[in-house]
Amino acid sequence: MNALLTAVPQWGARLRDPRYLPVTGTLVALLLILVVGQLRYTEKRSFLSMKLFSNLLVDNSYLLVLAVGMTFVIITGGIDLSVGAVVALVGLTTAKLLIAGVPLWAVLAIGVLVGSAFGTLIGVMVQYFDVQPFIASLAAMFLARGLCNVVSVESLGIKHEGFAELASWKLKFGEGRESWSINLSMLVAFAVLAVAFVILHHTRFGRTVYGLGAGDGGTAVALMGLRAKSTRVWVYVISGTCAGIAGILFTLYTKSGFNLTGIGMELDAIAAVVIGGALLTGGGGFVLGSAAGVLVYGLLQVVIAREGLQSWWTKVLIGVVLLAFVLLQRALGTRRARRRPVPVTPTPQVAAPA
Amino acid sequence: MTDQKDPGQAPVVEMRGITIEFPGVKALDGVDLTIRPGEVHALMGENGAGKSTLIKILTGVYQPGAGAIRVAGEDVRFGSTADSQAAGISTVYQEVNLCPNLSVAENIMLGHEVRRGPFVDWSATRRAATKHLARLGLDLDPASILDSHSLAVQQLCAIARAMVVRPRVLILDEPTSSLDKAEVAELFRVVRGLRDEGVAILFVSHFLDQVYEISDRMTILRNGRLVGEHRTAELSRMDLVSAMVGRSGEILADVGERAARVAAAEHDRAEPVLSAQGLGRPGSAAPFDLDLFEGEIVGMAGLLGSGRTELARLLFGADKPSEGALAVRGDTRAPSPLVSLRRGVVYSSEDRKKEGIIGDLTVRENIALAIQAGRGALRKVPAKELDAVVAKYIEALQIHPANPDALVRNLSGGNQQKVLLARWLATGPKVLILDEPTRGIDVGAKAEIQRLVTELADQGLSVLFISSELEEVLRLSERVVVLRDRHVAGVIHNGPDVTVETVLETIAERAAS
Repeated sequence: MNALLTAVPQWGARLRDPRYLPVTGTLVALLLILVVGQLRYTEKRSFLSMKLFSNLLVDNSYLLVLAVGMTFVIITGGIDLSVGAVVALVGLTTAKLLIAGVPLWAVLAIGVLVGSAFGTLIGVMVQYFDVQPFIASLAAMFLARGLCNVVSVESLGIKHEGFAELASWKLKFGEGRESWSINLSMLVAFAVLAVAFVILHHTRFGRTVYGLGAGDGGTAVALMGLRAKSTRVWVYVISGTCAGIAGILFTLYTKSGFNLTGIGMELDAIAAVVIGGALLTGGGGFVLGSAAGVLVYGLLQVVIAREGLQSWWTKVLIGVVLLAFVLLQRALGTRRARRRPVPVTPTPQVAAPA
Repeated sequence: MTDQKDPGQAPVVEMRGITIEFPGVKALDGVDLTIRPGEVHALMGENGAGKSTLIKILTGVYQPGAGAIRVAGEDVRFGSTADSQAAGISTVYQEVNLCPNLSVAENIMLGHEVRRGPFVDWSATRRAATKHLARLGLDLDPASILDSHSLAVQQLCAIARAMVVRPRVLILDEPTSSLDKAEVAELFRVVRGLRDEGVAILFVSHFLDQVYEISDRMTILRNGRLVGEHRTAELSRMDLVSAMVGRSGEILADVGERAARVAAAEHDRAEPVLSAQGLGRPGSAAPFDLDLFEGEIVGMAGLLGSGRTELARLLFGADKPSEGALAVRGDTRAPSPLVSLRRGVVYSSEDRKKEGIIGDLTVRENIALAIQAGRGALRKVPAKELDAVVAKYIEALQIHPANPDALVRNLSGGNQQKVLLARWLATGPKVLILDEPTRGIDVGAKAEIQRLVTELADQGLSVLFISSELEEVLRLSERVVVLRDRHVAGVIHNGPDVTVETVLETIAERAAS
C-alpha cells in the first residue's frame, strides 16, 4: 500500500511531463473509448473483457509490428511509405514459395528478409544519396507494389499444412463465451514490441535514434561522435524488417497472398504512431505509445461495428482523432517554444576595476 | 616567439606558419598561435579575419596547406575532428550543438555512457553526469530534458560534455553571444575554474569587455594574417581595436573637404525626415534615439556584431521594434517593410547575395522588384515605363555591362551593388539605409558608390550609411553614430578635428555609466 501511495504521485508527475503529455493524451483517449464502450455495449456480458483485447490483438498484431518499425523512422524525423506494399509483396512471396514447395522455415526467413532489403534500399537512398524519405520510400512503395503484380495478379491461397498449423496455433483460456486465446501473431507482436522498447530506451543506438530527430539533420549527433549515418540507415532497415514480419503475420491471418492487400496500410501505421504521441517532425515518440495508438485504432473499429455503422465510418473517425492529436501536438509545441528563453539585451556594461 | 618569456610553461598547442587557401582567397597566411596550460587565450579579429578558419584547422575540420601543429611538444596532423579530439582538444560551438529532446545526462554522456553489456546503465550514467556537472559547480537533475533549461545552462552542459574526455585544450567559440550578463558571469566562473585546473582555454568573442575580463593573453588576426600576440594586461583597448581594424588612426586627406561641406549644411534643421525615439528590441538593439534630416548623411560605425545591422533592420521594420516610436515625415505607423517602402524608407541589406539581389534574374527584373512591390502584384509596371527607368539607372549609376538582360549573378560585386541601389532609388525614396554597400568590392567601384551617395544627399535624400571602413564613414558622414555591444555609445559630429582615432576611442572606451 505504501509503495502504491508513493508510486501514484510519481506516475502523476510523469504523465504531466511535457515529454509524455502526448502519450497521456493517447491513454486518455483509450480510456474514454473503453468507458464509453463499457457503458453502451454492456448487455448480457461486459464489453471490457479479455476476449475484447484478445480479438483486438488477433486483428491488429500485424499493424502493431508495422507501427513499431514506423516509430523508429518517425522519431528520426523520417517516414516510410513502403510498408503496406511490402506487406503485400511478402504475402505473395510466401504464398508462391510455399506452393513451389520451399521448406517453411526458409520461406519465413525469406519473407522477413524481403522486408529488410526494401528497408536497406530506402535507408541508403536517404542517407547516402540525400533523397527525401518521402520520395525514397514512395519509390520503394511503387517498386514493391509493381513486383507484387510480377509475382501474381491473382490471389494465391495457401494450403501448406505446416503453415496452417502455425496460423491456428493458440493458447486457450476461459470457458464458453468468455473464452479467449493467445495466438502466434500476438506473441510475435509482443516480442517485437519488447525488443524495440529495450533498443530505443536502453542502448546507445536507441538514444542516437532520438538524437537524430533533434531537428538539425543529425549535426549534433555527429558532433557528439555518435554514429549518425549508419543509425539513419538502420532505422529504415528496422522498419523494413518489421514490414517483413508484419507481412508474415498478415499472411497467417488471411492464409493467402494477394497483390492488392495492404493498400493504405502504411497510412494506418503512421496514423497509429501519431495517435500514439510521436512527433512527425522527429525527436519524440514511444513504441509503447504507438502500441496504445494501435489499440485506439482497433477499438474505434470495434465501436463502429457495435454501432452498426458502415465500416468507412472508421476512416472518418480516425481522421477526426488524428486531427485532434495533431492539434494537441501543435499546442504543446507552441507552448514549448514560448517557454524557450529569449536572448536578453546585454545591459550597459558597467566599468569593472581594471 | 614569446615562449622565452614564460620558461615555466610549456605550450600545449603550438601552431606555426599556418596557411590555407580556398578557391580565390588566402584565408590564412602564416599564422602562429600558442596556447599554454592554465591560461585563457583570446583569439581576436573582426569577422572574416580568419578566426573560425584557424579554429577549424585546430579541430581538424580543415587541413592547412602549409604550417605545423604541435600538441604537447609532438608534431600532429589532424585528418579529421576525431584526430583532434583524440589529441585532447574539445570544442564548444557558438550554437549549442546538443540534442534538445534528450536528457541532460544523455547530452553529457552519450558516447561515453556507462554500459552493462550492450545496455546503458542509466543510474550509473546519471551519476557520472552529475559528477561532471558538479565539477562545473552545477546542480541539475540529470534526467531533465535539455530543452527545459535556459540557453546558458545548455551552454554549460555543452562544456560539461566537452570536459568528459578530460581535454587539455577547450575551445569556446563565441560562447556568450546569446547569454545575458548574469549568465556570462556564471560561464566565466566555470571557465576560471577549469583554467585553475590547468586546462588551456581558447576563447573567441567579439565582446571586448568580456575578453578583457576573462583572458590572460590574446592573439590578434586581421585579414588572415597574424597581427600580434599580447598579454591582455599589457594591451590597451585602443591598441587592440586599432590592431583589429588595421588603422593606426592616420588622418584622411579629404575629410576636411567633406567636413567643410557639412558645416555649410548646418541649416534648415526644423523637421527631421526620420525620427526614432527609444526604438529598441530585446536581443537586437538597446533603445536608441535618432533623427535624420533632409540631405544628411549619417554614418554608423562599430565593430562587426555591435548591432549596426540590427539597428538598421529596426528602422526599416524588417525586425519589429518592441518598444519606442518611429516617425517618418510625421507618419507614425509601426514600421514594416511594406509600410517603409510606401513612405519612402528603403534598406539595402548587408548580405547582398542572400537578402539583396536575385542572381538568376536579369538586371531589369532586379531593378523592377521594388517598384512592383510598391504597386502590388496585380498592377504590372508597364514594360515601356520599366525600360525607361532601367535605362536611366544603368546610365546614371554606370552599371556595367549596360545590358538590362544580363543575369545579375554574372556581374561584379560593385555592379551588383549598383543594381541593388538602382532598385531602391527607382522607388523614389526619401531615406536610404545602406548597410555595408561597399563590402567586398574593388577600390574603384567603392569610390563610385561613395560619389553616388554624396550626390544623392545633395539632391535631398537622407542617408544612413553603415560601414566597417571608418575612413569611408568619416569621409561621407555629417554625424557618426557609434555602436558598441548593441548600444549607441556616442554620436560624433564630424568636423576637421574628428579623426579615425576619435571614432576608435569611442568604440573602445568603457561605458562608465
